[in-house]
Amino acid sequence: MTVPAALRRALLLLGMPVVLVAAWWTATAGSTDFFWPPLRTILGTFDDTWFHGRITSDVLPSLGRLAAGYLLALALGVGLGVAIGSVRVLRALLEPVLEFFRAIPSPVLVPILMLFAGIGNGMKILVIVSGCVWPVLLNTVEGVRALDEVLQDTARCYRMRPHSRLVHLVLRGASPQITAGARQALSIGIILMVISEMFAASNGVGFTIIQFQRGFSIPQMWSGIILLGLIGIALSAAFHVVETRVLRWYTGLRRAQREG
Amino acid sequence: MTAAVTADAVGDGRGGRRHRTAPGWLLGLAGLAGLMALAEAVPRAGLVKERFLPPFSDMVSALADEAGTGAFWRALLETLRGWAIGLAVATAAGVVLGVVIGGLPPVRAAMASTIEFLRPIPSVALIPLAVLLYGTTMRATLLLVVYASFWQVLVQVLYGVRDVDPVARETARSYRFRTLTQVRTVLWPTALPYVMTGFRLAAAVALILEITGELVIGSPGLGKQIAVAQSSGAVASMYALVIVVGLIGVVVNVIVRAVERRVLRWHPSVRREVVS
Amino acid sequence: MKRIRAALAATSVLLLAACGGGGGSSNASDKGPATVKVSVIPIVDVAPVYLGDQQGFFAEQKLKLQFETAQGGAAIVPAVVSGQVDFGFSNYTSLVLARSKGLPLKVVAPGNASTGVDKKDFGGVVVKAGSPIKTAKDLAGKRVAVNTLNNINDTTVRASIRKAGGDAKNVKFTELAFPDMLAALDKGNVDAVQVVEPFLTTALKNGGRLVASNYVDTAPDLTIAAYFTSQKTAASKPDLVKRFAAAMQKSLQYADQHPDAVRKVLGTYTKIDPSVAAALTLPKFPTQVNGAGLQTLENLAVQDGLIKKAPDAKELLP
Repeated sequence: MTVPAALRRALLLLGMPVVLVAAWWTATAGSTDFFWPPLRTILGTFDDTWFHGRITSDVLPSLGRLAAGYLLALALGVGLGVAIGSVRVLRALLEPVLEFFRAIPSPVLVPILMLFAGIGNGMKILVIVSGCVWPVLLNTVEGVRALDEVLQDTARCYRMRPHSRLVHLVLRGASPQITAGARQALSIGIILMVISEMFAASNGVGFTIIQFQRGFSIPQMWSGIILLGLIGIALSAAFHVVETRVLRWYTGLRRAQREG
Repeated sequence: MTAAVTADAVGDGRGGRRHRTAPGWLLGLAGLAGLMALAEAVPRAGLVKERFLPPFSDMVSALADEAGTGAFWRALLETLRGWAIGLAVATAAGVVLGVVIGGLPPVRAAMASTIEFLRPIPSVALIPLAVLLYGTTMRATLLLVVYASFWQVLVQVLYGVRDVDPVARETARSYRFRTLTQVRTVLWPTALPYVMTGFRLAAAVALILEITGELVIGSPGLGKQIAVAQSSGAVASMYALVIVVGLIGVVVNVIVRAVERRVLRWHPSVRREVVS
Repeated sequence: MKRIRAALAATSVLLLAACGGGGGSSNASDKGPATVKVSVIPIVDVAPVYLGDQQGFFAEQKLKLQFETAQGGAAIVPAVVSGQVDFGFSNYTSLVLARSKGLPLKVVAPGNASTGVDKKDFGGVVVKAGSPIKTAKDLAGKRVAVNTLNNINDTTVRASIRKAGGDAKNVKFTELAFPDMLAALDKGNVDAVQVVEPFLTTALKNGGRLVASNYVDTAPDLTIAAYFTSQKTAASKPDLVKRFAAAMQKSLQYADQHPDAVRKVLGTYTKIDPSVAAALTLPKFPTQVNGAGLQTLENLAVQDGLIKKAPDAKELLP
């Protein structure tokens, strides 16, 4: 990458956020509204609030639960999605049941989950799974359903073995949609991480933010919301790295078509 | 290997094999019936105490009691209204912004980091903000609904726009199609399946946030009724209302599916369903 | 029905006019009743305001109440401060926390108070039937569920333990919503739960054992909660606030003297089972704020590290 190109990229990446942050800074600079503290005040509390012990006591436990819940949801969503997407009877049988559960908001579901899973970390991970699984599942089902029929028939004609058919045809063919789902599940996962910490929690980012909110420590609460945004960016960047790796064939194909 | 979801990959293969199975809706009802049986059996078998999770039949009789009250129907209407308005606003905004951002690579690049920052901010964290702006009224909940479901649509539209066949796009460009025509003939057909998935996700998320908002903020609707039942220790009524929420989800899905089938008649995922 | 209410309103207007009452800062001096928005949590504690509305005490003051239910102080306080609603209901510790951070709040009327009778209060700490925990002292080192951490319930449970001569430092408080507590206690996820009505009655009916009445142990006749407004509303609409406070006083007094009416009104805004509503212990509804009790709660908030310095109680009180 040449220097001007790198500069351009940096500008693209940071331009908009810088403008927005500047707007926020000036708009709130003289604010005396209790619930809208100046951005300066919020950033001033950031270091004190988060970097003196809360990283290990709150942020890491949250991220651990998120990771466990997210990966579990991914495995469950893809597994169920492939099965439901390729067997029409199963899809017809389960769709209303799945839609039923999907429509039930997590705060309502939590008391029921607590009856079975107690109030420990297991329950919180289950809450994350219960929300994350839907975009993965739905997108996998759609992806599998939309597989190119010619390809499917070809695979059948060449008598591809079920296992390699699954890996090379089904999963690969559906992978653009699966990643789209996984991407959405990640954002939902962060939201559920917060929701799960509204119940029976004793640590976590969401727990801390809610405590600040209840204790009317508003600048600290805002700093927590910013932290959640930053966590979101970091996770999304990590996701992007994985995504480009998994979808290399796809972007490559697109590029080839573009050049060809 | 070619991409999964492209308009040109439809080809002409009528691959669907006909086999006579029970119609879909019947199987769906069977699935729900199985769930009901399970909800009756688990408490009866003593896996959970009945006073914490009452058997399904108790929930049904509580539901019948609820259905006899005007408050229940008012709450149902309020929930549906909030949901519909929120979903409409979010979908319109998501599609328009998604096409604009996704269709113009420089804008997309400039907006990417901002989108990534704003999106994970949990809508629940916006509750104090919503209350501050609108009190505990319906509009506070509407803000949460629009915020959360907007991203569902936007992200799907962005993925859909990215999936546009470059050859088709180049062709359109070399024929000097006007921008609107390009959007209509090239971009839109490819993005449409993604938009529909996004719409379906958004419909569910909007419902979830509508209920959550009512539950946590206390704005009028079924969620508030659930909260009242919870804080009154009326366990059976609470689950009865939860069932109603779940059923709304099922009905919403059936409707969105029907819309999807109409809109995507030409797409392989739908065509195969129609053939078989 | 509407006509009767209109007639009542008209009569009260005439009466007030005859008495020469009504300040004039309020906009509704002769246009009929002024609409005031009140944000409450739909629980037993706020029964007087519903009862008073039913009895016409607010109409007498030319006030038309519009209820906006919320699920907790976290939603009510911002709504009151921003002027979205005129009056709110919250427990004292939350008000003290808000005031200590500089939020401009003003109490206008008391909400509810402990009965002051040990083991016969509307809230208490409950354990399972066979639990080794016999008194508040035994709670030391145990897992106790409260509905919100760092608020009135954990500070008063600590006060209760200290009063019984136990070590309150290492109690492990877990945050659980009241409706979820009994299941968690039953499953053994926690050792004890601090519940209020109607869950206290339900818990005792199902074999739970009451080990402490934490509000009684904290202070005699402890006032738990209050109706409040923002200092801005208090300053700009003093007449409205005065009328609301007067109607509230009358409602509280009526509620305290007519427990059966209170039990009956519960059916109009909660879904509490009538048999539970008939059996539950009602809180007391005082007409005067108990200043000493408030001071105790402030001291506890400081002692337990919720706040660094207690705000001046005079600023908060009317």
